[in-house]
Amino acid sequence: MITITQQRLKCIGCNYCVEVAPHRWQMSKKDGRSQLIDSRERRGFWSVQVSEEEREINEKAAKLCPVKIIQLRG
Amino acid sequence: MAPAGNWESLQAALQAGADAIYFGVEQLNMRARATMNFTLDDLQEISERCSEKNVKTYLTMNTIVYDHDLTLVKAVLKSAVEAKITAVIASDHAVIAEARRVVMEVHISTQLNITNLETVRFYSVFADVMVLSRELSIRQVKAIVDGIKRENITGPSGNLVAIEVFVHGALCMAVSGKCYLSLHTQNASANRGACVQNCRRKYTVIDQEDGHELEIDNEYIMSPKDLCTIGFIDQLMDAGVTVLKIEGRGKSADYVKTVTQCYREAIDAVDAGTFSQDKVDQWMIRMEEVYNRGYWGGYLFGKELGEWTNASGSKAKTRKIYIGKGHHYYPKSKIAEFIIEAFPLQVGDRVLVMGNKTGVIETTVQSLHVNDDGAKEMANKGDRCAFPIDTPIRTSDKLYKIVSAETEEPSL
Repeated sequence: MITITQQRLKCIGCNYCVEVAPHRWQMSKKDGRSQLIDSRERRGFWSVQVSEEEREINEKAAKLCPVKIIQLRG
Repeated sequence: MAPAGNWESLQAALQAGADAIYFGVEQLNMRARATMNFTLDDLQEISERCSEKNVKTYLTMNTIVYDHDLTLVKAVLKSAVEAKITAVIASDHAVIAEARRVVMEVHISTQLNITNLETVRFYSVFADVMVLSRELSIRQVKAIVDGIKRENITGPSGNLVAIEVFVHGALCMAVSGKCYLSLHTQNASANRGACVQNCRRKYTVIDQEDGHELEIDNEYIMSPKDLCTIGFIDQLMDAGVTVLKIEGRGKSADYVKTVTQCYREAIDAVDAGTFSQDKVDQWMIRMEEVYNRGYWGGYLFGKELGEWTNASGSKAKTRKIYIGKGHHYYPKSKIAEFIIEAFPLQVGDRVLVMGNKTGVIETTVQSLHVNDDGAKEMANKGDRCAFPIDTPIRTSDKLYKIVSAETEEPSL
């Protein structure tokens, strides 16, 4: 398992994570920031545990993020 | 019009005599990173702090806008109307349309790259103020202003459309900031306010066919010097420009204060008929102390080539070093007390006090009272020290020493 974390409030809504990993990320129509699907928030960090097979596309999302708020652990 | 990237800068702009400030909330503006922005909850206080001083408040919302942003656009504009923000600076038509719907004054951002009278006429249906393209010459600016008067082009308010231009601050190599470079290398789109300023770095150009490096005098081939128009601000005002805009929401409060003060004085001098080269020289000396990449007059005299900087960062002649934090203020005796946390402070030092409510205070340490030991020449790390300052300071304020840019870090 790997843990994906997002510092959501720093998101600028560029949409890149959604472009590369649409099953894990979606744009919120409410505040224009991306949402980490199935994640839970703790002190400004949204995180979710996912299976190994999601590693590659989410690493790509993390790499593409212009404000570097996506992290993968594990 | 002065930039307010945070509370410190906003307060500095107010102290320096700005007539208007501009700022961003949330992410839909050209400085989208959170550190240069306010949040929706701040709108009311921004409005209150500024209206107390009769200063206008302009909300920038000028990135490209996607479908997923539309709800936020509406929410921000609704809050801005409720908070009595003066106007929104917009470029995307969705923002312009929504602002009109909620009856908010619209200013057209330089991102729309207005370069002619017919475009002014087109946008006059929606907007009372328009920021012209940064690439126009004074002659072209004047022709547009004259055309507005001649053809009586009015905005929604019924008044003639007012023309705004950038007078000071960073320029970039792209026309009206519409740049792909930062997106290309870092995936950080300038047009979504995430520019990483990679044009400001050194580059070499290599011919891929034979491997030869091109001979370039200056390695900073994509980084223009900063715009500075104070030397000919009278000509801009004569051309009929009514709003003079200072760039710098990403810059610090001392830059905002110094630059705004200088332009305030310059505008007042033009109005009073006392504008002179001597004064310009004095303003330039002051502005060379704060962040700059070297100055030039931009494209306002129709230069054929831009002037490129020869440094990666600032060429400011001074810099500030952190000394300590605010501790107490004695209003009767007008004495401010600080705790020294870093470098020593001496009598005669030029200092800055900066904070969210305080803005920027600049003074010279006339005398120094250290701990309970009475008058001293110097205070060191860990000391509590006091010296006279006319205006109150707060515990959240930071104390800096202004030193020459060449000064090495003093030892602790």
